[in-house]
Amino acid sequence: LSKCVVTCFQEYTLSEYLRMSGIYWGLTVMDLMGQLQRMNRQEIIDFIKACQHECGGISASIGHDPHLLYTLSAVQILCLYDSLDAIDVEKVVDYVKGLQQEDGSFAGDKWGEIDTRFSFCAVATLALLGKMDTINVDKAVEFVLSCMNFDGGFGCRPGSESHAGQIYCCTGFLSLTGQLHQLNADLLGWWLCERQLPSGGLNGRPEKLPDVCYSWWVLASLKIIGRIHWIDKAKLRRFILACQDEETGGFADRPGDMVDPFHTLFGVAGLSLLGDEQIKAVNPVLCMPEDVLQRIGLQPDLLS
Amino acid sequence: QHGRVKVKTTAQQEEEKRKEREKKLQIYVAARDACFTKRKDGVFDDEALQLTQQLLSSNPDFATLWNYRREILLHLETVQKIYEAELSFLESCLKVNPKSYGSWHHRGWVSARLPRPDWARELSLCDRCLSLDDRNFHCWDYRRMVVKMSGVPVKQELDFTDRLIGSNFSNYSSWHYRSTLLPLLHPQAPDTPSQYSLPPEYELVQNAFFTDPNDQSAWFYYRWLLGRGTRCVYVSREEERVAVAFSRPVNVSTFLLCFLFLVFSSEALLCLLPPGTISDVANEHNLTVHWTEKHSHRDCALYTGRSESWCRDTATDLELFRSELSVEKTSVLQSELQSVRQLQELEPLNKWCLLTIILLMRALDPLGYEKETLAHFQTLKVSTRPHIS
Ligand SMILES: [Zn+2]
Repeated sequence: LSKCVVTCFQEYTLSEYLRMSGIYWGLTVMDLMGQLQRMNRQEIIDFIKACQHECGGISASIGHDPHLLYTLSAVQILCLYDSLDAIDVEKVVDYVKGLQQEDGSFAGDKWGEIDTRFSFCAVATLALLGKMDTINVDKAVEFVLSCMNFDGGFGCRPGSESHAGQIYCCTGFLSLTGQLHQLNADLLGWWLCERQLPSGGLNGRPEKLPDVCYSWWVLASLKIIGRIHWIDKAKLRRFILACQDEETGGFADRPGDMVDPFHTLFGVAGLSLLGDEQIKAVNPVLCMPEDVLQRIGLQPDLLS
Repeated sequence: QHGRVKVKTTAQQEEEKRKEREKKLQIYVAARDACFTKRKDGVFDDEALQLTQQLLSSNPDFATLWNYRREILLHLETVQKIYEAELSFLESCLKVNPKSYGSWHHRGWVSARLPRPDWARELSLCDRCLSLDDRNFHCWDYRRMVVKMSGVPVKQELDFTDRLIGSNFSNYSSWHYRSTLLPLLHPQAPDTPSQYSLPPEYELVQNAFFTDPNDQSAWFYYRWLLGRGTRCVYVSREEERVAVAFSRPVNVSTFLLCFLFLVFSSEALLCLLPPGTISDVANEHNLTVHWTEKHSHRDCALYTGRSESWCRDTATDLELFRSELSVEKTSVLQSELQSVRQLQELEPLNKWCLLTIILLMRALDPLGYEKETLAHFQTLKVSTRPHIS
């Protein structure tokens, strides 16, 4: 498996527009496997430093524009390395704060795309930095709740269809802001557990194919709302393992497909949530090793 | 990164592929560097538009390049022709990759800045895109923006989902859309559901689940449509407590008038009354739960000689239960129960069917149907999801 992550790091020119997240996926896998020391720590920290912009935001790579998605990834990586002081934290906070809109939502960057993913990125970044109080949390919560649907799930914006990735962001958001009681957990849990297909894998929306990354989003959401026992864990475990490529050790979206670091992280993290003892415990809200969050002193809420 | 099948290749094939990739990569890197240099030098010209176009055609997720294009467009004079050209370039991008966040956001950005916007064309683009993939949520979201910007009547959109559902019942996106449109069409949540023109709505859903009883889309929608918008107040004399249950989460702080509230969840609250308040069986007590936010209340009387009492209502206050378009009329629920039972005779082990029957029975008469619901629960437990213990 480590071999896969290392190879993935070597051929990534085409995906440099998301490199910061790629590094986060790869490093988190390594940390969960207890192999973090195999990566070049200093090189990565220097890279992150070079990606912080004047405005405080962090970009996916050098020459690219800053964005909340990569700002969160960078902060997550620095937490893994216990090196937040490598960047200007105050400026990051200002950047995040500056992206909050009047209705409480967050734009991904200065070009104004609104999405509940960005609400999650914003509060996750600030929670990791211990600076949640710098934004209008009430308004932020109000916006996320306005995206709740008839099925108890959430979409990108008010009126958007429920989607497992978005539900993960919104339940994670409500956990970090201490507002999980706002969920209709039984209704949402029902929708989520119906994502499981006969193969054991989970899909992201009704009538879609199963996928390792959706398996993580659904599983983590169920964990957050205290209903992980509503799915067949053994079957899901078999599905995730079937997505592992024997040759490289990495994971694909479905059995037989190409592996990539994104699905490798969510495969490994999923196995961790399912209780695999070879893997470190993962936090369902932030998708980071629990021991890292303990060090920071961050314990996001979970429903029981 | 999704759905790319891994194929076994020989060493020679591998080598050829590698060379080809390398060549493509060189072209890519050259174009990328040229873009970055131009941008750094503050150049906002036609050539930059062409270079970014070349790159974005195959890499629409390269967000920074869309940003550069926006900078160029803002720099140029706002000319209808240039923006029109941008839209047709975007259309070709969306044809190749209809699920790129960057392309859709850019289209919204351009459309909103067009000197003479053509929303009808945008709506027909959505029609075409959804005819290719009726679940593309990017396109649905763009459609909602177009509808909002150009004031397309709600009824027209509802008719649109009629057509999509008509051609494919298993279309969760359309059912979802309906759930947002119906309340808009009936802004004053009616006391009489007949105003809601619900009968056709029920007919539509029933057609769907009779056609394919295993398709979950219609069942999720049906459950929402039936609603279970009940509030329930329960008073226990002996335990000296009041329990209040809601059909959807509520904000607890509005209830602090009471002496001590224990919160089970945001949908169920428990109030412990001071000792002696209601313990005398000879007294009658009238309790009122006030919902301050919505200026509504619910009375519950504990009569002389009774040890407990409970009151429930089926969403008379629809404002409180926005997402629960509940039906008050027992007769409607009765006739729904009849239909679903017919289906159950054909499909005795269909879990959606069983579950819906249970919900209807519990809404209608929980005690009267107790035996039957328990039997159905047993069937569900044994036959459908054996892993749930
Ligand atoms: Zn995936």
